[in-house]
Amino acid sequence: MKIESTNKVKKGLAEMLKGGVIMDVVNAEQAKIAEKAGAVAVMALERIPADIRADGGVARMSSVGVIQEVMDSVSIPVMAKARIGHFVEAQILDSLGIDFIDESEVLTPADEVNHINKQNFKAPFVCGATGLGEATRRIAEGASMIRTKGEAGTGNVVEAVRHMRTITNELNEVIACDENELVALSKKFRAPLNVLEEIKEQNKLPVVNFAAGGIATPADAALMMQLGCDGVFVGSGIFKSGDPAERAEAIVIATTNYNDPKVLSEVSKDLGEPMVGINIDTLSEEEKLAKRGW
Amino acid sequence: MKVGILSFQGSFLDHSKSIHELGYESLLIKQSKDLTSVDALILPGGESTAMKKINQFSNILTDVDQLIKDGIPTLTTCAGTILLAKEVIDGEVTIPNIDIEVTRNAYGRQTESFEGSVKFFENEDIYCFIRAPKISKILSDTVNVIAQHNDEIVGVAQKNVVSLTFHPELNNDEYYLNWLNDFIKEGQNVRSF
Repeated sequence: MKIESTNKVKKGLAEMLKGGVIMDVVNAEQAKIAEKAGAVAVMALERIPADIRADGGVARMSSVGVIQEVMDSVSIPVMAKARIGHFVEAQILDSLGIDFIDESEVLTPADEVNHINKQNFKAPFVCGATGLGEATRRIAEGASMIRTKGEAGTGNVVEAVRHMRTITNELNEVIACDENELVALSKKFRAPLNVLEEIKEQNKLPVVNFAAGGIATPADAALMMQLGCDGVFVGSGIFKSGDPAERAEAIVIATTNYNDPKVLSEVSKDLGEPMVGINIDTLSEEEKLAKRGW
Repeated sequence: MKVGILSFQGSFLDHSKSIHELGYESLLIKQSKDLTSVDALILPGGESTAMKKINQFSNILTDVDQLIKDGIPTLTTCAGTILLAKEVIDGEVTIPNIDIEVTRNAYGRQTESFEGSVKFFENEDIYCFIRAPKISKILSDTVNVIAQHNDEIVGVAQKNVVSLTFHPELNNDEYYLNWLNDFIKEGQNVRSF
């Protein structure tokens, strides 16, 4: 007996990525640097979020050529992004045999009401969330992994921290509540009741939750781990910095040893220039990617 | 009883849960100082390339290697099995302690990951194979087959080491937990295939 792409197998891959770092790459060369530095997976992109932000215009799924180039160059799992609600981009990624699809607010949304029905795909999905309601809605749609949205391409960790703290606080409220309060909490968070019931039963989110959006230093990664996330995505932070290979490696070591300040100080030495960050206050509401998704 | 679980990254918390269900203490091993006084070891699934890289910083696999050679009961799953294999196709040999050849990502990408029936000793159940390696060759007569998926060898034992390519820690079924308990307590395999 053998069944592929079951929910357990999809969630299982996310379990294997736990405690690891997933890095954004735009070509085979960067993918190899990331793999060598100890990334547990790479996200294949045409442009990293900082450049998407700078260039403006409509951001779409990366070209199939770039994605395949990355898939052919490394032995670790490869992820790629589809636009929110763009189920055909997801179908294309699925047919390429991609290991994980990120239905991402970093790209321009294709549907202002609906997210992709993620149950229909062989590949597992990861989706961004700013709070428990969003996280549980994505899980109900079939997401096998959640990440904070943060604010991608800024090198500013403040939004990722906000989203992680919000998810944790709301999660604790559900775990601590009397079972009779679940329906009211479901309304309060706009969270599907069946997912809240699952949380209540397991005393945790039923899928892995990574941090993403603004992580630029080993200390940022360790901060997110200490706040309780299961691993980190680093986007622009690595290949927009002075010495990508060294920074990538330092973030990997920091993510494993997040509770050991001695190790953190050791890997933070002589890292070269980090990416230049953006203050969130200077972004207009339309420029905030975390507002995308419903 | 204390069970050390290599915790660079991967499914170490799932294994830790199995150990707690048995009523033992689990130690999450990240650096050599964490390795004091463990009675058994688990090397979990995850990404073997990432684990090797993280080890370059802490270098604890040298100590893990010694403990295994000293005869401590050791269970490996998936990536952990790659770390202990004597030969690795499409990957590197790390701390060879079991006489098998493994092939990394032998089933293909995640879309080829599956749940499949496994005969684990005398019990048959369904377990997850996630971007799993295959045990492509057995290199010594002292290696015993202990688990099969159809005709494929998916679990072996040699002396104090048990290496699997699937993920019993994602099930924590009664048969597996009973076996794990005996394995940790007796320090060796007590069942036959």
